[in-house]
Amino acid sequence: MKIRTMRLLSREGVSNVVKNKLMSLASIGTVVIALLLLGLVLLVAINVKSNMDQMRKELEVLVFLNIDINDLDREAIKAYIREREAAGEVASWKYESKEDAYRNLQASFSDPALLKGMTSDQMAESFSIRLANPEDGAHFIEPLSQMPGIQPEPDGINYPQQTLERITGFADILNTVTLALMGIMLVISVFIISNTIRLTVFARRKEIEIMRHVGALDSFIRMPFFVEGIVIGILSAAAAFLLTWRGYGWTHDTLNLMLADLGFGMFILVPFEPVGMRIVLLYFIIGMAIGGIGSLISVRKHLNV
Amino acid sequence: MIRFIDVTKVYANGVVGLAGANLHVGKGEFAFIVGESGSGKSTLLKLITREETPNTGEVQVNGYNVHAMGRWEVPLLRRSLGMVFQDFRLLPNRTAYENVAFAMQMVESLPREIRRQVPLALGLVGLGKKARSYPSQLSGGEQQRVVLARALVNNPAVLIADEPTGNLDPKTSWEIMNLLDEVNQRGTTVLVATHEKNIVDAMKKRVISLERGTIISDAEKGRYEHED
Ligand SMILES: Nc1ncnc2c1ncn2[C@@H]1O[C@H](COP(=O)(O)OP(=O)(O)O)[C@@H](O)[C@H]1O
Ligand SMILES: [Mg+2]
Repeated sequence: MKIRTMRLLSREGVSNVVKNKLMSLASIGTVVIALLLLGLVLLVAINVKSNMDQMRKELEVLVFLNIDINDLDREAIKAYIREREAAGEVASWKYESKEDAYRNLQASFSDPALLKGMTSDQMAESFSIRLANPEDGAHFIEPLSQMPGIQPEPDGINYPQQTLERITGFADILNTVTLALMGIMLVISVFIISNTIRLTVFARRKEIEIMRHVGALDSFIRMPFFVEGIVIGILSAAAAFLLTWRGYGWTHDTLNLMLADLGFGMFILVPFEPVGMRIVLLYFIIGMAIGGIGSLISVRKHLNV
Repeated sequence: MIRFIDVTKVYANGVVGLAGANLHVGKGEFAFIVGESGSGKSTLLKLITREETPNTGEVQVNGYNVHAMGRWEVPLLRRSLGMVFQDFRLLPNRTAYENVAFAMQMVESLPREIRRQVPLALGLVGLGKKARSYPSQLSGGEQQRVVLARALVNNPAVLIADEPTGNLDPKTSWEIMNLLDEVNQRGTTVLVATHEKNIVDAMKKRVISLERGTIISDAEKGRYEHED
């Protein structure tokens, strides 16, 4: 198709959007709702995931040493951790001496009398280790548990495997639900757009017949409808983005304040900025795709081209 | 130019549109297709333009079997056929000029060519002065002239007119028929389905008569009805 033909037919498609104002608005409205639902699902998922990631990252492997550990064993354990850190498996780690442990304990009791008779000698030294990849906990712990100087089974190495598994499981469910909801939204939107285009096909059947009679190619006949669908998609994406941006900004500010007030400061909504760009992109891509696909389906079905 | 070989068209509801038709219209010929309403005139023409498909037989245009060609070839077939209808079929929001130009735009003619050919086509049908008028500002006869200009502007080998004067008064009908004759004089093969007994009889052209889907006569310099 030559550029000038494309321009001519595209103009036709754009003017159809304007001409069928009511129908266009109705389908833009529905596509906007579909996109907003999509955005909502995505933003909820992103926030839940971000908070879960944070929780995951904060999971620590705690290693308590025997009270009477010797320097050699302690250095061996330290060396093991350092080796894994060099291999990139350990994100960060901390050593807590008997004195540190005692001070921490002191700080956690408001009444010093409760610590009466306890000395730092009775405290256990410990390592707290954050893994780069919390799922690899077992791999990290296995060799460690064989090393001398660590307290026996239940207390020696503490790793919240169950919490991690629960978080991971929840994330999997969330991903599946998100994908399913998105799929349903897309199908509904395509259906709606193809219905709108069907009405334009009907309104323009005379013109289509003339195009056929003068020997226009099928692609020429499809083009205006395709453009109409795309334009509806773009307008919907723009509207949906504005609403998402404003709506999320408000929710973000309000909810973060509320969470902080309620003492859930560790849960926060992620800022719109980096995520927002991806959502705009997604809205436009999906908006145009459902517009284009919806119109092609409709044209194929009702025009037989 | 156009050949029907044992062509039968039975519609889905069982109505016979055309039954065992054999026909040859040569290059540069002018032929009327006559018969009362429902006799199969439109069916015959639609089989040429591939708006309908025959159940059996073969329809050829310029040696090509119209119903064996691929879907993508149909637009090319239509470009070699100019079409005129009883109900005009102009785009109401385009001027006479734009309506004619539209046919050229759809075959991607050069803008320069369009600017040259459209006025020529409108001049040919005697509408040079009404190029800027919209269909609603034109009389029925004038609208049909625009349609004729549109059908001719891409220089089709064959002009097919299905009751082109069906909505026009006798005087205007004559004008349109004379125009069709003129077009034929310039070398275009012309096929006209019509009811107009007086005109058919007076023009002394080839007349193909249909009755309930069957070609009952085909006569050079024929008349609308047989008088035996
Ligand atoms: N699409 C169709 N479906 C069923 N029957 C049709 C269709 N088109 C035409 N017919 C029938 O076929 C016969 C021939 O019609 P047509 O070719 O239009 O006749 P004419 O043009 O001579 O009036 C008529 O009986 C008509 O009712
Ligand atoms: Mg008819």
